[in-house]
Amino acid sequence: MATTTAAVTLTSDLMSTNMSVSASTTCMKAGTTADGLDQMEYGYVDIASGTAYDIIGNTPTASKASKLYVKNHSTDETYYVSVVLDAQAVGKLYGGDWMFIPADFHDANADIEITATGGTNKICYALFHEGTTLVAS
Amino acid sequence: MATTTATITLSSTDLLSDELALSTTATLTQAANSTGLTGTTGLGRKKLASGHATYTLFDGDDYTADKAHKLYLKNTSATASEYFEIIVNSEQIGRLYAGDWAFFPWMANASTNDIKIDPSANDMILEYMLLTDE
Repeated sequence: MATTTAAVTLTSDLMSTNMSVSASTTCMKAGTTADGLDQMEYGYVDIASGTAYDIIGNTPTASKASKLYVKNHSTDETYYVSVVLDAQAVGKLYGGDWMFIPADFHDANADIEITATGGTNKICYALFHEGTTLVAS
Repeated sequence: MATTTATITLSSTDLLSDELALSTTATLTQAANSTGLTGTTGLGRKKLASGHATYTLFDGDDYTADKAHKLYLKNTSATASEYFEIIVNSEQIGRLYAGDWAFFPWMANASTNDIKIDPSANDMILEYMLLTDE
């Protein structure tokens, strides 16, 4: 079994007491502690401003425990990519920001689409999953 | 100016034939500028019962729209089969299984952008924190 660990630490001096929140998880297949996610895609792409782009080309098996990491490597703070799932706006990932979500790709429309604004955004992504529907050649 | 950082580390020694070691830190700033985020709900915890259609965790109407809010969620359950479905408006994003966490940007675009949670079992506990841009 592959063991992949995802850890996060959030720190802030926003409040009168400094805040530090940490969490770590081993990325497992859906509903089990016996078998870890054992497949991944990893990429780095330039996305021109105005282009809507499905970040994952091969749709993973639906309703599983896939995990998606996306980072906007743009250094201009005004650049961002809009993250949209089946026409539902989720958020804007500005230059330097990253996100990590479970993605269940529950139907054919549930692709994760990003649209760049400001200029060409440099996007790094990794998908950890347990199988995809490959596109026939 | 407050400084809030978010660090992620993804690691594996056996997923690939080479070691995976990815770590990055983002300093969380307001939309389109370098000023740090100015607000937070603090870290919260809710016990949720199954059978409810969905719980609205954050109402998009309550926060300034189209900003760089960030949301942290964690499923504290230790039962592998238990998950929270994360939903934005009516769109399922993904299932947060036991021990899993998520961190993502949120636009808070009015009532069509609510963050909703649907637990798969009774009395599951969700940890959450919203970091807000204005």
